[in-house]
Amino acid sequence: MRRLRNQLSLAAVAFLLGLLVVVQLRAQAVGSGLGSMSSQDLTVFVANLNAGLDQRRQEIASLERDLADLSLDRDRGVVSLDQARAELSRIRAYAGLDPVTGPGVTVTIDGPIDGPGIENLLNELRNAGAEAIAVGGVRIVVGSVVTGSPGGLAIEGNGLGEPFEVWAIGASETLTGSLTRIGGIVAQVGATYPDVTITVTPVERLELPATGRDLVPDHGGPRL
Amino acid sequence: MFSRRFADSVVDRVRAIPSWQVTLGLALLGLGFLIAAQLASERPRVRYTTQERTPLIETAVRLQDQQEELSARVLELRESIQALEQAGQGTSAAIRDLNRQLEQARLAAGLIPLRGTGLVFQLEDSVQPPGPDENQLDFLVSAQDLRTMVEELWLAGAEAIAINGERITPTTAIIDIGGVVLANSAYLAPPYQIAAIGADELYDRLVGSPGFADFVRARQDDYGIQIAYADPDEVDVPAFAGTVTLRHARPLPSASPSPGP
Repeated sequence: MRRLRNQLSLAAVAFLLGLLVVVQLRAQAVGSGLGSMSSQDLTVFVANLNAGLDQRRQEIASLERDLADLSLDRDRGVVSLDQARAELSRIRAYAGLDPVTGPGVTVTIDGPIDGPGIENLLNELRNAGAEAIAVGGVRIVVGSVVTGSPGGLAIEGNGLGEPFEVWAIGASETLTGSLTRIGGIVAQVGATYPDVTITVTPVERLELPATGRDLVPDHGGPRL
Repeated sequence: MFSRRFADSVVDRVRAIPSWQVTLGLALLGLGFLIAAQLASERPRVRYTTQERTPLIETAVRLQDQQEELSARVLELRESIQALEQAGQGTSAAIRDLNRQLEQARLAAGLIPLRGTGLVFQLEDSVQPPGPDENQLDFLVSAQDLRTMVEELWLAGAEAIAINGERITPTTAIIDIGGVVLANSAYLAPPYQIAAIGADELYDRLVGSPGFADFVRARQDDYGIQIAYADPDEVDVPAFAGTVTLRHARPLPSASPSPGP
């Protein structure tokens, strides 16, 4: 009887020990996720998620209108070419297959900077809501990467001179504010590449060319 | 003389303790240590959590769930629209041509899920403990790491890329906030799987790139970031579930392509 009690005590302690080890390990694992973020970071994170939600809601509203129109046409036995053309134009503009115009910023870069430095700038422009970007007059599309070391930058096989310009269409104020804020990308580039000068100029109207590349994949097809 | 007798009696007493009691004692010692460690690690977290972080974390989790629902709805609507367009083709050559152009544009814009040849890379946080003078964030996979991978894959000839199901498009920003990565404003949970569709030579081209070699050296060798890859027969890259509606950019009527490669 006493032996059984001893064994039960040991089993209970071993169970508790195992439980606590697991809890401790899980608590450590949370460290790389939301649990490790500061309140300030969480606030920025939530703001980003909200921005993404707003965009998706707008897209859903637009798609629901299109679907309703198409359904109505089908019921009437007609096909609206205008709607299909508008949809085609919208998608081609987004993908970079057609030239686009609109307000935005011109970013002039003068000095020795490498490809990754420019890619960081492009990422910041996208994060600030840029809808279309061109570097040195070449439209940025899927697969476009600015490469090279300082003095030898290139985009899609075209060399970039010095200085060169990045054009981005979007809300001018937002783009300018995002790039030039304290600790923003312009300040970061200034710290990493002290000899580089970046000038951000809001512009009322920019014209960005279409890409010359065929963007339809050769090695993948629609998944049915 | 006295001390020797005392020592002998202590040794005898210790020997008289049953072995199960020693085991239990050691286990209780471990238990006490773990309880103390748990309380010590929980205390500051609980204090912050109850004040302001819990509502924020709960909001973030709720918004992530909403984002997944809305993304699914976007994809569902696009599929329905495509199905209606195809059904309305009829006999008109103009409509057939328009539908063909629409499909090509959607393929180019990343609005259609793809399956094809390619690679899948996985990046995971380091398991190495940071040294006393090292930054813990350097041992986590960062947005910069993912951007470098995407850029290297594009340069190696990838035709379509997605990270944890988020399709990379011309407007995709990959950013990190306090060690957490977002792409297309969606939270990416580690480990990060980068699926890329491309030619059979994609891997050879990638590993032959000096930029990729530098990246592996800097992140895997120096900080222990875990980089693995798979070469499955088929790779799936999902469709972009974000918006393609441009609010500031307007299409220009005349097309004048920029210089190609």
